[in-house]
Amino acid sequence: MEQKEKESLEQLFGQLESVIETMEKEDVSLEKSFELYSRGMSLLGRCSKAIDEVEKKVLVLDENGETHEF
Amino acid sequence: MRNVYTVKQVNSYIKNMFTQDFMLNRIYVKGEVSNCKYHTSGHIYFSLKDESGTIACVMFAGCRAGLSFRMKEGQQVIVLGSVSVYERDGKYQLYAREIVPDGAGLLYEKFEALKKELAEMGMFAPEYKQPIPKYVRTVGIVTAPTGAAVRDIINIAGRRNPYVQLLLYPALVQGDGAAESIVKGIRALEAKNVDVIIVGRGGGSIEDLWAFNEEIVARAVFDCTVPVISAVGHETDTTIIDYVADLRAPTPSAAAELAVYEYREVKEAMLSCAQRMRRSVLTRAEAQRARLNQLQLRLRFAHPRQKLNEKRQYCAELEDRLRALMERSLTAEKHRLALCAERMKGLSPLEKLNQGFSFVQDQNGRNIKSIRQAEPGGHLTVFVADGRIEAEVISAEETEYPGEKELTEGGT
Repeated sequence: MEQKEKESLEQLFGQLESVIETMEKEDVSLEKSFELYSRGMSLLGRCSKAIDEVEKKVLVLDENGETHEF
Repeated sequence: MRNVYTVKQVNSYIKNMFTQDFMLNRIYVKGEVSNCKYHTSGHIYFSLKDESGTIACVMFAGCRAGLSFRMKEGQQVIVLGSVSVYERDGKYQLYAREIVPDGAGLLYEKFEALKKELAEMGMFAPEYKQPIPKYVRTVGIVTAPTGAAVRDIINIAGRRNPYVQLLLYPALVQGDGAAESIVKGIRALEAKNVDVIIVGRGGGSIEDLWAFNEEIVARAVFDCTVPVISAVGHETDTTIIDYVADLRAPTPSAAAELAVYEYREVKEAMLSCAQRMRRSVLTRAEAQRARLNQLQLRLRFAHPRQKLNEKRQYCAELEDRLRALMERSLTAEKHRLALCAERMKGLSPLEKLNQGFSFVQDQNGRNIKSIRQAEPGGHLTVFVADGRIEAEVISAEETEYPGEKELTEGGT
């Protein structure tokens, strides 16, 4: 599960870059570029979410597989 | 006078004593390395010391094959060489032919043997290396819970990205059970599904770092499905897991830098993405707007009203021309009319009457133009300017008017 999400930030950036590249090509119609823009903005939102901006405490994993604050 | 000797004589005498000494010619000396200098010529100058004192040593460039590691200050080594005199300084020194780390000699051999074995099994092969994910969310750390290594990792990871979750497995990194503890840590963190694992510790002697040279640790790293970054000791310390790990970091700090992406950079990249997209949309919209304006202008020119206006204008022009022509011919006719009127005026009988002439007619209304029309006793009507006179012809006779002849003659 986490594995998937982690990969998705990299993928999100990849998608974002391809969206931007497409947008910067000359032969994109205005409608298409609006569509791409909204797609890009939603990708950015997902990137932001993937970063998960909550400051994390260092955790310690003990012998029993339980975690405590360090 | 007793015998007097030169310095040279004394020095060479002593040197000769050293050279002839069987033991000094081939001797193992152990001690701690100090004042170690790698000279550019390839010679190495250093001293060996213990609690009691020091002995100067030199290893000439030609003997460097006898040294397979980089000597460091404070390192315990065993030097094989000969003790002889350096006549110029009047000093004796140890000429080293082979140097091995003390106590580590056996370990060193074990290290080399294991390294060779694992390499032959392909455990160091690049095709088994897993890529380190660029954007990790959780980082597992297997190291001692106390000490500089964990501090460095926590500090650097926190500075680069405080939003990445660090999960520490407090492991025993030296002494009995260290290797087992490290293996357990790797497995526990793998089970926790972290994104990357840093395995390491701070610097130390080869014995201190030995746990990281154990085969079970190497295998645990190799088998780990989560990418592993090794971070053992300093730049110069190399352990087996450095070869097995998916990525080798020279130090624990460097491992934190390799594992944890810089939050600020990513944030900036996102901002720049947003900006590029916005600019791109705006540029496109602007271009389309310009096109719209242009088309609007073209459409306006193509509107039927425009054509209509043109026709209307042409029409007005034609009208003007027609009117002008009409005007001209009308004026000409007017002039003609005026001329006619003038001429008519000249012919008006009334005008003649006004000038004192009269108009005479007989009873039948015929104009009298000759005496032959007027018989005496006949009744005539004479018209003058202000009325008429009824008259009776008394007589009629011919009269010759002066100048008539000339006039007629001149007229013909």
